[in-house]
Order: sequence, then structure tokens, then C-alpha cells
Amino acid sequence: MKYLRQGLVFMLVAVVAAAAAIPWTGCHRRDDGRIRITMWHQDRIDVRLILQRQLDRFMQLHPEVRVEQLFKETEELRSGFIIAALAGQGPEIVYGPSDQVGPFEIMQIITPLEGIFEKEWLAQYDPRGLTWYKDHLYQVADKLGNHLTLVYNKKLVPVPPTTDEELVKIGKRLTADLNGDGKPDRYGLTWNYTEPFFFIPFMTGFGGWIMDDQGNPTLNGRGTIDGLGFVKQLRDVHRIIPNEADYNVADILFKDGNAGMIINGDWSWAGYKNAGLDIGVAPLPKITSTGLWCEPMVSPKGFSMNVNIAPEKRQWVIELIRYLMSPENQLESTKELFTMPTHMAVQQGDFVQGNEILRNSALQIAHGRTMPVVPEVRAIWDAMRPGYQAVLAGRVSAEQAAAEMQAMALRRIKEMNE
Amino acid sequence: MNLSPRTRHRLYLFFLVAPTFVILFGVVIYPFFYNVILSLSNMSLRHIRDWQIIGFGQYVKVFTEPSQPDFYMVFGKTIIWTVVNVVCHVVIGVFLALVLNQKEIKGKWLFRAILVLPWAVPQLIVALTWRGMFNYEYGSINLMLTQWLGVEGVQWLRQPLEAFIAVIVTNVWLGFPFMMVIALGALQSIPHDLYEAADIDGARWYHKLWHITVPLIRPVMVPAITLGTIWTFNNLNIVWLVSNAGEPSDQTHLLVSFVYKAAFNFYRYGYGAALSMVIFAILLVFSLSFMRRSKATDNVYS
Amino acid sequence: MVRSRTATTIRVAASYVVLIVFAVIALYPVWQIVNISLRPADRLLSTSLELIPDQASFRNYVDLFTERPFFTWLLNSTFVALVVTATGVALASMAGYAFSRYSFIGKKFGLLSLLVTQMFPATMLLLPMYIMLVQLHLINTYIGIVVMYSATALPFCIWQMKGYYDTIPPSLEEAGRIDGASQSQIFFRIILPLAAPALVITALFSFMASWTEYVVAAQILQDTELWTLPLGLKSFESNMGSEWGLYGAASVIVTIPVVVLFLSLSRWLVSGLTLGSVKG
Repeated sequence: MKYLRQGLVFMLVAVVAAAAAIPWTGCHRRDDGRIRITMWHQDRIDVRLILQRQLDRFMQLHPEVRVEQLFKETEELRSGFIIAALAGQGPEIVYGPSDQVGPFEIMQIITPLEGIFEKEWLAQYDPRGLTWYKDHLYQVADKLGNHLTLVYNKKLVPVPPTTDEELVKIGKRLTADLNGDGKPDRYGLTWNYTEPFFFIPFMTGFGGWIMDDQGNPTLNGRGTIDGLGFVKQLRDVHRIIPNEADYNVADILFKDGNAGMIINGDWSWAGYKNAGLDIGVAPLPKITSTGLWCEPMVSPKGFSMNVNIAPEKRQWVIELIRYLMSPENQLESTKELFTMPTHMAVQQGDFVQGNEILRNSALQIAHGRTMPVVPEVRAIWDAMRPGYQAVLAGRVSAEQAAAEMQAMALRRIKEMNE
Repeated sequence: MNLSPRTRHRLYLFFLVAPTFVILFGVVIYPFFYNVILSLSNMSLRHIRDWQIIGFGQYVKVFTEPSQPDFYMVFGKTIIWTVVNVVCHVVIGVFLALVLNQKEIKGKWLFRAILVLPWAVPQLIVALTWRGMFNYEYGSINLMLTQWLGVEGVQWLRQPLEAFIAVIVTNVWLGFPFMMVIALGALQSIPHDLYEAADIDGARWYHKLWHITVPLIRPVMVPAITLGTIWTFNNLNIVWLVSNAGEPSDQTHLLVSFVYKAAFNFYRYGYGAALSMVIFAILLVFSLSFMRRSKATDNVYS
Repeated sequence: MVRSRTATTIRVAASYVVLIVFAVIALYPVWQIVNISLRPADRLLSTSLELIPDQASFRNYVDLFTERPFFTWLLNSTFVALVVTATGVALASMAGYAFSRYSFIGKKFGLLSLLVTQMFPATMLLLPMYIMLVQLHLINTYIGIVVMYSATALPFCIWQMKGYYDTIPPSLEEAGRIDGASQSQIFFRIILPLAAPALVITALFSFMASWTEYVVAAQILQDTELWTLPLGLKSFESNMGSEWGLYGAASVIVTIPVVVLFLSLSRWLVSGLTLGSVKG
């Protein structure tokens, strides 16, 4: 009994002590008089490490500044930034794919950049890396891409396909029942079936696209219907792709050598190399019947500035963006990550031109469609997901799904813009 | 100080309760009223800074706006989800606590340690592991079904009913240890001599269970069940992770998914707030009636 | 008597079967996580039923402590969780007692209002919560997070304490009063020891409320030096290309303190010292 009482008294003392200690730990955030700049991004670890090196160099050049990078997951970066910025706070720099520009501009939580960076400086960069929206520049990108390509295991696929017919031929050769249980355990191709982002190349391969120039959805068309039909054919007629795959399943199949090819983005290459695979990258094939390339979405990743930046920090924030955009730093990232730089001189430089993966990546970007930055894209993803999944599960026909996608997208957009 | 006993008693009560309510109201009151106001406003993507009060329009939308999946269907699923989960949590939890509470069992500490694992392990990775286990071709559940039992695998994640079962199974797994721990504690409040007296009277085990155990663990279990129901009703995480945000085809959602999507994907803050108020009202009505029937606010001895 | 002995044997045997079945069910998915932590090259899934992965290694565990600030996160989380636990136990044991023993104006309302705080979808509370914490200068501080976590954990803890106090007969207190014990003596010497199981549950619950919480922490703690475990774990996960190996290893390590805490507190959770022997 006594023991327990002592325990409780101890706890009460602990609470008081903790309450007393908390204000101290609260201010434990080092107040060393340096200017503090925070940058949010959603990049994986290898990108973070390179960024940290670059930030460290920047801080060495400018000891009066302290820059901190903070990783946030995509959804959270967006909602977290909105919440913080609406409350008058938030990181000085928000880094990410260009589609965040749309909602941020409408909410007026990022600053136009065209008055900040001179024309001559901007002219050094690939125009596709400068994201303009409603006549203002809102993002300057250091990387171009975020695009899907065909990644293949060179051990299984010596020469990648360039057309859908070759794809099916190679796929049929690879798909095999190796352990004799009556089910294939190696497939020709795989990808994440659950996200419509991975369906875009098939849609474009049959002449479709998600929206017109005014931002109206165009989902109920041949592109969607034939694209869906094509995917179903790969699975149910040619049987070269697995029955069911999400991102992680597709990833593990490819990593274990149980799929010869995977449709995945530029972010995945480094991981496959680390897993010991000898991979090649090729543009997604051309659809013979339409003569069109399967074009994935391409979007730049870059820097936007918070509207709430304190005046004394502003100059340093600009300086930091310039520094991170410099050709030296872009080249450093490109060499390790195989990302496409936006600086023209680096893009046309020896390293990019001489590297097989980057050359093919550039080809794919050339056969790619820029992701629109309007917030309606969100509504379109949301509208495409159920129909896409329902067709693959065999619950509705492609025609029906396309019509439902369109109707739902229209409704979502209306709701969003009310 | 010379205080009257009455004042002293009041001060004593104040000392017991005040700190809690300072913290709770400090944290909750402002956000709550903020939401009440938001639910009457048109705050959305296009009116994020210049929002204004528009009345009950958002509430009307909650009930009448056509949605996919249908609002009332999702509401029904949420209720099924909540009831099945809570019933399974409580039944399994109490059952295991009873089994563990027998004095003949050896190695209790080991069983306790293992059985509490689902509660202790970080949810995100375990939810994704369960998702992997439900995969049609490679998931261990189907592999066991086909290799050991020789039955056809089930398309867990591709058909609406199966997917719903899959998320429930995962959440039952995650939630039973909590109820088991509560029940273990509750069982200690039962005097042994009641059972001994019942044994002398020749009572069967189910008599003892129904007439001694259940009524006496009730005061401790009722709060856990009430709150368990509230948490389960609003537990978005597991459904979201296991069904990969609503697979197949947005068929696996709870009402809170609507709130989440409205606020974070479509920036419809007014609508999200109104829906939150509706959820709040549903849970309030449930709690009030459940507590009245279970007499949870009364002291058993009074 | 012979019959009753065989009945006991059957009951015990059946109990072991039940316990083993549930132990396997509880363990299997957790074992998968151990498996993930031992696999090379960030494989979240596996396509076979193997119990030990190919090329298993402890590399991820080593990396966690040498390459990442995992130890800092562990310390931060331990600090936050202990403070929240202490706050939860202290405040809930007091408030629960008042709600169980005394009648006062607003008692029912008070009890209900505790529940009310749990009914609101957390999603919608983030924006106002953030605005409020900014006003109070509590962003990026532990006091902000401790207050938020305590507020989350307290309602259940108080209800739970109240429920347990309710099962303690008031006659015990009266006996104490007749012996001349003061109000606080009665509370500390008679009531609290009897409520030990409920205190354990309160402590465990408060601990878990902060040990695994992510959403609120992500809004409040913007400084990596202040990060708690869930934030650290989340940093292994990115949309495409998560470090599942590290995530698995960290998850395993994060689980251990909870199990240890539970086991060490079990002594009081199921001790024979309590009501079972005193009451009646």
C-alpha cells in the first residue's frame, strides 16, 4: 500500500516538475540569432541526403542563415501547408510537383515570382520547368519529370519493346508457370493498377486526355474506353500481367525478378539499382493501331514561396532558391538520382547526353504530357479511380465506366468550385 | 483559515475536477465553436479567405447532395462496421481475459505479452501488412487457403463485400487486446467469495458468468464500450490503409472518409464541418441513450 | 470429485488451446513485420509463406541507430509519453473520484462533456487547433503536444477510473472515517490501492495515446530535433519508395517498450491485493 502511495506522490511531483520543465524545453529550439529558413518537401531519403549536403554548403557560405528541411508526405504537405499558411505561418519554401500551384494560388498562400527573379536568370531554364498560372510565375523547378517509363530487367528483357505488339510478344515469352502449380509465377509486365495516374499512358496511347484547355473533363471518350479495353486484354487475353497488383505488389514482383518489366516513375530507378537489378529504362511503347505513343504525365518539381515570409528573411530565401537551382547543384542531383535537370546547359551537357538512362528519360519526357496545374485535376483522379477499379474487377464495361467517370468528374468539379 | 465544512468540501471537489476541465475546455472549446461557425459558412477552395455565414445550406447538402458512394449506404456501412467491431472486440477481449484469469494457467505472462502485441505495434505498417496478406495471388491468407485447405482463393480486395470483411478482420485483430486489458482489470473487482458461494449453491459456469461476472464488470466495461464505439465510428486509418483509400471503387468507406476527402482533397471546409457536426450529433444521441440504458452515470452502490 | 477433476483438466486443456490459437493469430502479422525488418532492399511484401526471409540481416537495426537520429526520437518520445502518463494518472484518478463519489451541480453534464470531446472527427479540429496553438505560441513546443495528448487521453481515463471507483463499496471509506482518517488519507490509503488495476489501465492508455500519435504531432512539432517516434517512422515512408526495412525495424523496437510496460504493470493489473480479497 505504502508503495503505491509513494508512487502516486512521485507521479504528482513528476507532473509538477514536468510542467515546470516544459517551458524550458519549449524554448529549447536554438535561438542563436541566425536567420531561420524552413523548406518543406516530399522527397525520399536519397534526395534528402543530397539536399542536406547542398544546404550545408549554403550555410557555410552564409553562416548567418540556418536552413532546415522537413519531409512531409504528399497529402500532408499540402494540407499542412494550407493550414499553417492560413494561420499566417508555415515554411518559407514549399517544394513539390507543379500541381500544388493551382490550389495554393487560389488560396493566395504563395507569392508570384516573376518580379523576384530577373528575366535573364529565368531564361537559363527549360520553360517547362517554370510554372505559370493565371499570368504569374509561381514555381521554379530544378527537376523535370516525375514521369512513368518502362523499366525492364535486362536479364529477362535484353531489348525493350517499342510497340504494343512487341510488348505482348515479349510478355508472352516471359510469363511462365515455373513451379508447376498451374498458375503463372512470372509475368511479362506489371504496374500499380489501383491508381489512375498509371492508367494515363494507355489513355493517351488511344488518343484520350483528361481535360480540354478550359479545364473541362474529357473522360468519356475513345481514349478511356480503348485504353481500358487494352489493359483488360493484357490481363485476360494475353495474360502477361498479374491479376491484382497495387504499388507494393508490383514493386516486389519486379524486385524479385518475377516480372520482366514494370511501369514506374523516375523515383523508382535508384531503388531498383540498389536492390541489385540490372535495369534499363525505355519510353513506353507505341500503340500500333493508333500510331500514338503511350504518353505519361510529366510535371516539374520546384520551389514556391510562402506569402507569409518575414521581410528580413525574404532576401535569404531568394538567395537560397538561386543557389539550389544552380547548374552545379542540379548536376550533382542528376548524377546520383538520374533526374532530369531544368538548367539548359546541364540538360545539354555531357553527362545527361552520355547517360543511357537519362537519354531514354529525355525521350520519354519528349513523349509526355504536362500535368495541368488547375485544382480540378484532383477531382479527375478521384472520379477515375472507382471506374478504373470496377472495370479491372469485371463489374462494369469500359463504356459504362468512362461515362461514370465523366459524370462524377463534372459533379466533383462543381462541388469543388461552389 | 477558518472555512465552513461546506466550503471545504467545495474546494476539495474543485481541486479534484478543475485541472482536468481547464485542459479539456482549453483544448476543445475553441475548435468546437470554430467548427460550428464553419459549418454555417461557405468556406471552400474559392472562398477560403472571404468566407461568410450562409446558414444551413451545408447541412442540406450533407443529406441531399448526390454522392458516390451514396451517403446513406456509407452511413449504413459505418454502423455495421462499428457494431461488428465493438461486439467482436468486447466478446473476444472478455473471453480471453476470463481464460487468462484462471489460476491453473501457467505462463500467463507470456500469453499476456503476445496477446497485447496487436495493440502495441505501430498501426500503419501492420495495416499494410494485412493488406499484403489479403492479396489475391501472393497474400498469405489465400496461400494458406489454397495450399493447406485446398479451397479457391478469395478476391479479398477486389469485391466490395470481401473488402469490407477484410477491413473488419484487420480492425478486430487490432482492437481486441485493448478490451482484454480492460476486462482483466475489471475482473479484479469481483470478490472471490461470490463465486465460492455460487459453487456451494451448485451454480453452472454460465450462471456464474451471467449473474456474477457480467454485472460486476459492467461499471468498468461500459465506459470502454461507449468510447470504443465512438472511436470505431470515427476510425478512418485502418479502413483507409487496408482498402487503399476505398478500394474497390470507393465501396469501402466510412462517414469520416467523406469528411477527410471534403477537407483535404477538395478543400470544402464548410461542408466538412457540417458533416462533422452531423457525425457528432449521431454519436451524441447514441451515447446518451446507451448511457441511460446502461446507467453508467450512476454509482452501483447508490 | 473425480468427475470435477476431469472437468478441470478438460477446461485447462481447452484454455491452452484457445490461448495458443489466439497467440498465433496475434503473432503472425507481427512476425511479418519482424520479417520486413530483416529483409534486404525494402521489401514490404513477400510472395511466399517463408518464416525467415532469404538473406536475412540485422542491417536495418544497426542503420537505425547509426545512420538515423532514432535514439533522439526514442528519448523525445519517452519524455513526452512519461509526462502524459503522469498527467493522465494524476488528473484522472482525482477527477474520476469526484465523479464517482460526490454529487454536484453539473456532474452529469461534466461526464457527458468528456465524451463530447471524443466525438468530433479529428480531421476538422486540425485547422482551429493550429490557429489556437499559434496564438498561444505553443507550436514547436512539448507543452503544446503534452496538453493536446492529455486532452485526448483524459476522457477515457476519467470514465474508466470512475467506473472502477464505482465498484468499491463506500462502506470501506466510512470505516476509515470512523477510524479517524482524513479525506486525503482515505483517498491515498484505501481507495487508490484498491483501484490499482484501473490506474494501470489509465497509465497504459495515456502512454499509448502519445507513443503512437502522429497527426497532431506532425502539426505541432516542426523541428526535427523535437521529433517523436511516430514522426520519425513516418519519415521512412514516402509516397513512392518507402524504406520499409527501416520502418519494420523501428516498428519492432517501438513495440518492445509497450510490451515491457504492460508486463511490468501487469502485477498491479491482476494482483490479488485488490478488491477481490478485501471487499465483502
